Amino acid sequence: MTAFESALDTGVNLFDPIDRARPSKSLFALRDNEPEYALLKDSSTQDKNRYGEQIVLLDLVDEATSLNINGVREVGFNPNRLKQHAFHFTADNCIGCHACESACSEKNDLPPHLSFRSVGYVEGGTYPNYTRMNISMACNHCDDPVCLKGCPTRAYTKHPEYGAVIQDPDICFGCGYCTWVCPYNAPQLDPVAGHVEKCNMCVDRLEVGLKPACVAACLGNALDFGVVENAPDNREQIEKQLPGFPDPEITHPNIRFQQTKTMPREVTRTDSMPVKYRRHDKAGIYKPMVDQKVGKARHWNIARLSSQENPLVMFTLASQAAIGLFALMLLGSALGIPVITTFTASAAYPVAVLFSITLVAFGLLMSTVHLGKPMRFYRGFNNLRHSPVAREGAGVAAFMVFAGIHILLVLAQASWLVAELPLLAKFAPLLAIGGRVCGVVALVSAGVGLYYMYRCYRIRARPFWDHKQTGFSFLGCSIYLGSICLAGLGSLTLLVSGDSMLPLLTTCSVIMGVGLAIEGVGLILHARDLSAAESEGAVSHYVQKTTFGKTWFLRNTALAVIAVALLCAPLYLGEAPALWPLFAVAALLIAIVGRALFYVLVIPTTMPGAFFWKNKGFEQHARDIGLAEMPQVGVVPLGH
Amino acid sequence: MLFGRRKKKPITLRDKAVVEWKYATCGYCSTGCSMEVGLDATGKAVTTRGVADAPVNQGKLCIKGITEAEILTAPGRGTDPLIRDHIYQDWQATDWDCALDKTATEFKRIQQTYGRDSVAIVSTGQILTEEFYTLGKLARGVIGTNNYDGNTTLCMASAVSGYKRSFGSDGPPGCYDDISHTECLLAFGSNLPEQHPVIYWRLKEALEKRKFPVIVVDPRVTMFAQFADIHLPIKPGTDLVLLNSLAHVIFSERLADEEYMASYCNGSDELRALVQRYDPATAAKITGIDEDMIRNVARIYAGARAAMTIWTMGINQSIHGSDGVCAINNLNLITGNIGKPGGTSLSITGQCNAMGTREWSSCSGLPGYRLLENEKHRVEVGQFWGVDPEFFPKKRGLFMTDIFPAIESGEIKALWLVATNPLTSMPNTARIRKTLEKLEFCVVQDSYADVESAQYANVFFPASVWAEKDGCFTNTERRVNRVTPVTKPLANSKPDLWIFNQLATRWEQGRGMSFPDSAQEVFEEMKVLSIGTGVNGKARMLDISGMDYDKILAQRGIQWPMRAGEETGQARLYGDGVFQFADGKAKLLALEWHDNNEKPDHEFPFWLNSGRVVEHFHTRTRTGKVGNCNKYSPTAYMEINTDAARKMGIEQMEYVRLVSRRGDAVVMAQLTQRVPYDMVFVPFHFFDCVNRVSLGLLDPHSRQPAFKQAAVRIEKVDQVEAGRLNRELRTY
Repeated sequence: MTAFESALDTGVNLFDPIDRARPSKSLFALRDNEPEYALLKDSSTQDKNRYGEQIVLLDLVDEATSLNINGVREVGFNPNRLKQHAFHFTADNCIGCHACESACSEKNDLPPHLSFRSVGYVEGGTYPNYTRMNISMACNHCDDPVCLKGCPTRAYTKHPEYGAVIQDPDICFGCGYCTWVCPYNAPQLDPVAGHVEKCNMCVDRLEVGLKPACVAACLGNALDFGVVENAPDNREQIEKQLPGFPDPEITHPNIRFQQTKTMPREVTRTDSMPVKYRRHDKAGIYKPMVDQKVGKARHWNIARLSSQENPLVMFTLASQAAIGLFALMLLGSALGIPVITTFTASAAYPVAVLFSITLVAFGLLMSTVHLGKPMRFYRGFNNLRHSPVAREGAGVAAFMVFAGIHILLVLAQASWLVAELPLLAKFAPLLAIGGRVCGVVALVSAGVGLYYMYRCYRIRARPFWDHKQTGFSFLGCSIYLGSICLAGLGSLTLLVSGDSMLPLLTTCSVIMGVGLAIEGVGLILHARDLSAAESEGAVSHYVQKTTFGKTWFLRNTALAVIAVALLCAPLYLGEAPALWPLFAVAALLIAIVGRALFYVLVIPTTMPGAFFWKNKGFEQHARDIGLAEMPQVGVVPLGH
Repeated sequence: MLFGRRKKKPITLRDKAVVEWKYATCGYCSTGCSMEVGLDATGKAVTTRGVADAPVNQGKLCIKGITEAEILTAPGRGTDPLIRDHIYQDWQATDWDCALDKTATEFKRIQQTYGRDSVAIVSTGQILTEEFYTLGKLARGVIGTNNYDGNTTLCMASAVSGYKRSFGSDGPPGCYDDISHTECLLAFGSNLPEQHPVIYWRLKEALEKRKFPVIVVDPRVTMFAQFADIHLPIKPGTDLVLLNSLAHVIFSERLADEEYMASYCNGSDELRALVQRYDPATAAKITGIDEDMIRNVARIYAGARAAMTIWTMGINQSIHGSDGVCAINNLNLITGNIGKPGGTSLSITGQCNAMGTREWSSCSGLPGYRLLENEKHRVEVGQFWGVDPEFFPKKRGLFMTDIFPAIESGEIKALWLVATNPLTSMPNTARIRKTLEKLEFCVVQDSYADVESAQYANVFFPASVWAEKDGCFTNTERRVNRVTPVTKPLANSKPDLWIFNQLATRWEQGRGMSFPDSAQEVFEEMKVLSIGTGVNGKARMLDISGMDYDKILAQRGIQWPMRAGEETGQARLYGDGVFQFADGKAKLLALEWHDNNEKPDHEFPFWLNSGRVVEHFHTRTRTGKVGNCNKYSPTAYMEINTDAARKMGIEQMEYVRLVSRRGDAVVMAQLTQRVPYDMVFVPFHFFDCVNRVSLGLLDPHSRQPAFKQAAVRIEKVDQVEAGRLNRELRTY
């Protein structure tokens, strides 16, 4: 028997691997001959980074402790483990070979449709004076981790070890809000698993002095890693910007660049995003601008208004209508507006409050359905300290609770109940005060909810939303949708009692008109600012004027016409009361179309994609023609 | 700074729980990266990593190597032998004996009816060297057909032919380490960052330590062209003119190494006389490279103390591929750049074991670079194998690209395909389909049952894949490296070596010969055969007698020659100036350029250029199923110049139909200035795509098809229908 045969027989290979046994409960298994390029080698470091933040995070924690990775209690032996680390990317060198991406996916065992690191590119020039610049991007473990702040569940932690921002998918409930706020597309919402995952900086490798897997795999010598503000060997620049890279002021990302080769004045993206970048000579950076990829023709594209965010369209509209209705009733009666005081004094009032609560409940149900893991909905309040989403949820939930108690207390004062339970009469003053207090608390909660609903969308990485128009829209909607509800419910009671509906309808019409006008003013400001913007906001505006041009135009024109018509309602509504339901339906449609546009139009400040990978246009196409059904295509069919 | 929580939270990272690493050489391209395959506690191969101290890759792997563990269990693997009488019938699973008996019976019947050469064997560059050697023994010594070739004719034949014509023998004279010594690197039709990213990394590392000019000749602005100091955007098919013109400048400006030429070369007068006619002004009109630049490049190259040329398919896949290689060799001979550190003609090879098949498969002759035409070689091998030397043909038979026309004309009736997929890889697919339909009997031996060519097979042999087997690969720089059986063969698949050995026993003659079961024994046999005297009277060049499996493993691969008693291999060939011709001198060849390409015209206004992308390998039988490769280009596409597309109203991501004189193909348009106005570039990996339109005129010396030069026009198509077609063609 040859040596080989005996080796086969015993199941042992002739080759004696460098480290056969990998102790399962210890630090990352380090080979004794790890190549030089894979080793971290920061011999000296700065005190503070360019944003004035401490690089040494040691002072900020009590003592060096284990990172506790996969239950390993051992503390890593990297001497710089308590310093903020950063990627360094030499854009001059990236060849777009995908080694970093695949090494990452291999290490983190990722399915094809997910990636913690992606390479896209921008290109410019004319053959043969053509330049492509590839950009490899993962999480930048920012000084100001907007993902951590935004996450309602507290799934994110920024560790003093390496400054790594690590997300725990076991906490995440898949709302995807972090994917909205991150300017770099770092958190990845996995539609299959229903949660978010992201780059973990390969902290297990860092603990033993190895650079992350992507860096060790780089074949262009483009990607490097070390303590922030340190230039790697043979590199001279530690710039914070690159063409196609979002404004670093948003999050103070821990990535630095070298890019010394001249780039064309204008570079374009190969993906479907109608964004290009143009050199701003004075600022010395590239700024995003509209790339008219779909021409100038206006289209309807009504079907495309329906999106993954439909539940949020319903959630925001329903909760805003509810809040508007409740606020109108409470404030209207407090101000002594006759038609409203009549209504709130009637037996229909508790029904209206209950209706308002039901609308909110429906909205919350919708937003829960929107989650990747709906059964974890209760985690939505974990991060009241930082997250507008948590505060929005808390505000809306508190509104439901207090509005609920409010109805109970109002009901307890109802004459028919007092007749049944005379004991209640004894508590009448208390009940009255309690009812009022709960009403006010509910109103305040609703206000808080609405405010944070607005704050949720003030995302710097989403310039289309990051505008006061979002506030105008939410407030305006609350007012006109609330008054539609009030008019509707009020009319029903008046129909039963046989009294005239005209005063109520007239008052509500004017209020609706005000609401629509508020939104209209917001739209004007929005259009004005976006037209002049040097951001993805301008691009959204371009899309709304082209892809959805006809829809947008009709909707906004209708909004203006109906706003004016409603404000003038006292002049003619008595003659033509049948117009009112028409207006109401129109306003409802305006609200729905407007909100749908709000979600489909947003263009985040993401990194450029490639022709297939991270190209929204191709992803859509792959779903349309069924390629997405094959897992190896890397696009998954959308769930829900 | 904001940390989010005060109390530490445990971190969970996904862990593939590797408990053991086993050695292999990557099974994709010919760079020859050493890797370890990680096995989990159940013995499943879950990941790979580069071997840190391997001389080739120093721990690095490219995307294909990084994801390679997945191919062991990729969908579509053949699990059982399959059989059917007619290709329109469904496959029936069978046992190995049935499949092997049927094959042997059919081969014998056909050979008896139509003659010995009516059975053709087309092999590959993918299987192990020991398997190639055994297949050669079976084909030459037992089955006895002279129509036996490898698919290396589609990729490396021109390099082989050029090496033979210039130096007297195949065998790349240089090595990767030359990159660390050179003072000028000239790349012809080679896109290292995409095709051989790890070799590119070696270049990048060398450049970080020491700057030297990199000159890239390519009609596309590849990443390599962009990163080069000088990019020569040449017109397709005119490399030979540029090379002759470079020689013109070198001679006319007296930059040549006259001493080297006088001592070690023949034919310098003829070359001088020929290149007289290729002055830069004339060459500029043909190549599209201005005359000043031609002179500039010639001066840089000739002025460098050591300069090297690398090339890949841009040269090889052309009608003057072999001449192009010879012209590159000319350039390096006249500048004295052969066999010295940093000075070489290095063909960057394609398949993982293209070298192994060139050395040992007997495709082009007899094992170890021996020739059928040489009586001494026939006797030598005949005696060693126990085959009557008269059984061997006295002249090499058909090349792969001539085998198919011979099937078409009815001379060949049976075909055995080993790990190759001509239905996707051969030019003019329509003709190949018609050809394959004519066969009386066809066997496909492949790791993947869904390999497209199996559509025309009567028997399917499920072969084990790469690291399920044991043996060696030889890489671009002649480095013999080990593949160890990392996992057991899947299901009822078998190593190719076993299949060849089993088939051999179906012949009386095969039973009388030695067909060792273990790869190591085969290797020992090859070692004996590698010893001897070459045509130049010196020790044979391809000598591996000093190697053994343990030494190869310990050194992470050894470059041949390594003669018995030596500690390690030899980095370069021809360092002594002795070449493989009888007089030991290299040949400078006078190479006239003929303008016989199919070129764009009024009817077909675009050049069709085809090539490779980093995430795919060959016909996607493996990478098409590995999501983390495939997702970067999951469907066929073409690069088209933005201005040309706009003029035709073609938008980004729009499907179009490419039409040539052969047929049509539907691709998705990618608008980019990377290609010139009159050219489209299509990756060749996709089934029923670019090779439906390609022409593939044959190089007269190497018989390699000119995949990269043909003319097409572009037609608009219905987008919905095209989308549906794309979906159907990409389904595995």
